[in-house]
Amino acid sequence: MPLVEVQALSKTFETKEGRLFNRVAKKVTALDGVSFTISKGEILGLLGPNGAGKTTMIKMLCTLVQPSSGDAYVNGFSIMKAPGKVRENLGVMLTGERTLYWKLTGKENLEYFAALYHMNREESAKRIEYLLDLVGLKDRADTYVENYSTGMRIRLSFAKALLHDAPVLLFDEPTLGLDPQSSRLIREMILDLRKKGHAILLTTHYMEEADLLSDRVAIIDHGKIIAMAAPSALKQSVKSSDIIEIEARNLQPEIVERLKTFTDIYDAVALFNDSAAHSGVIKIHAEKGKEVLPGILDALVRRDIGVTKVTFIEPTLEDVFIELTGRGLRD
Amino acid sequence: MTDIAGTTKALSAIFMKELKHYTRYPGNLAFLFAIPFLFTFMLSAMGTFVGGSNAAQYFFQRTGTQNFFVYQILGSAIWIMTWVVIEDLGSALRNEQIKGTLEQNFLAPINRFLLLVGVALAHIVISALIFIGVVFATVLVLQPGSLLSLFLAMLTLILGLTPMFGIAFIFSGFVIRFKEPYAFTQIVNMIFAVLAGTYYPVSVLPSWLQIVSRIIPQTYLIEDMRLIILFNKSLVDLYGHFILLGVMALVYPALGYYFFKRFENRAKVTGDLSKF
Repeated sequence: MPLVEVQALSKTFETKEGRLFNRVAKKVTALDGVSFTISKGEILGLLGPNGAGKTTMIKMLCTLVQPSSGDAYVNGFSIMKAPGKVRENLGVMLTGERTLYWKLTGKENLEYFAALYHMNREESAKRIEYLLDLVGLKDRADTYVENYSTGMRIRLSFAKALLHDAPVLLFDEPTLGLDPQSSRLIREMILDLRKKGHAILLTTHYMEEADLLSDRVAIIDHGKIIAMAAPSALKQSVKSSDIIEIEARNLQPEIVERLKTFTDIYDAVALFNDSAAHSGVIKIHAEKGKEVLPGILDALVRRDIGVTKVTFIEPTLEDVFIELTGRGLRD
Repeated sequence: MTDIAGTTKALSAIFMKELKHYTRYPGNLAFLFAIPFLFTFMLSAMGTFVGGSNAAQYFFQRTGTQNFFVYQILGSAIWIMTWVVIEDLGSALRNEQIKGTLEQNFLAPINRFLLLVGVALAHIVISALIFIGVVFATVLVLQPGSLLSLFLAMLTLILGLTPMFGIAFIFSGFVIRFKEPYAFTQIVNMIFAVLAGTYYPVSVLPSWLQIVSRIIPQTYLIEDMRLIILFNKSLVDLYGHFILLGVMALVYPALGYYFFKRFENRAKVTGDLSKF
């Protein structure tokens, strides 16, 4: 039996727009009939651009937001009918470092949340000591969180999610804003948790992270899951085309539309590294890439776009997203 | 861990967390301690300015006591305490909402009422400390009273503050739903100050306002405190008010929690818990 079972979850938010006496109600669909399961010892990566519905999904699963329709089960408990039991079975790390009390020490934070999860004193003391050691904060346990670095706060937040050793873990962008060393530490710990049999839902918009950690990846866009499979299977699905990555300066977004008119090009997206300096990467999915490349370079040169590097690459999850939506994950 | 033991531990943790936050921002406590004295001095100066040499006599005719300072300090201290109760409970949740910690609390498998009660208990302690600091110090210096009257005053305080928490629960719900805690609480606190006879007897208000003032627990709290400390009234003399406050102490928190739950449920539909 899967530890997480999501059945056709939908969420529509009602917002109001316009001026004070002329407000118009507008409905925004954040999630639209999403279904999936996660088994014991499995990591499901939820990959999608900002605003795709990833955080709404997590917040509905942890009972902070009520679905408009559908239901989900966590360790057999319905989020609609038994929200308290669902929360007992969940360890959750929400995005950001401001999920802790800054005027409490790291240890005081963990002690506080351990009490909210009804852990007894001995049990929580042992667990807190173990977790502080695990996330490398044992020496800073008695320091106020306000004096922690961003990486330390996120690691403490991660430890908080593991406090009561819940069978199901939800991590919402767990490495967002972290330095590479801390990110690697968190990723290693997530893989270790999978080995211990936890069912893990991980949202991220870092495709490498989703690729590295997930047993299966669900690609979500505009509130719908548009593909779900093992990362290798998803990447295999775009193998039929060549992927050309062109690093360029003076990049203009219009060039992408021009390239899409080429007969052998399926898709093209511009991903800006620095929008002020107009530098970035153009990713092109094309049939017979080597044959179409001279035409592409000619079109770029004609528009004064400075090409610095051209590479034929293996498909990534971002290429899967481009193939499915015609857009990049960072769009 | 049994349910009762777990609940007690969670309640104690919430209570201690609030107290720690209070003591780690000591400036606020100093401010709350100073305010009743500053208001009383301001009113004293204003009374002398308006009433001239007859000010003390007029005051005695209307209140039955010549102890202007204690009379006003009692009103001021209780007003500030109820201000703490109503505003701090709502703003505590609002601050948690802005910081992101409110969601973290709501993720835990605890009853929301526990969260409110834990915060409320911490504020009862803070309020009692302000009361002890301000009123007892003043009373002991200016009019030594019996220990029994001070004990009775504390009992009245706890009984009178409990329904005020019921009102605070409603505002906590407002805060989750509409944000802007201060817009609601400060207006209500000012209205309560006017209606509850903070600096004058309620009898000076128009008769219809006097009726409204009788649904505010603060009115009884201020009146009873003055009767106990300035006029040495006993529990027997005040039993009618005590029964009323007791009923309010049962009804108001229940009503408050009902409204809080309604606002919370609405926030779960709209996703307002994480919006600021």
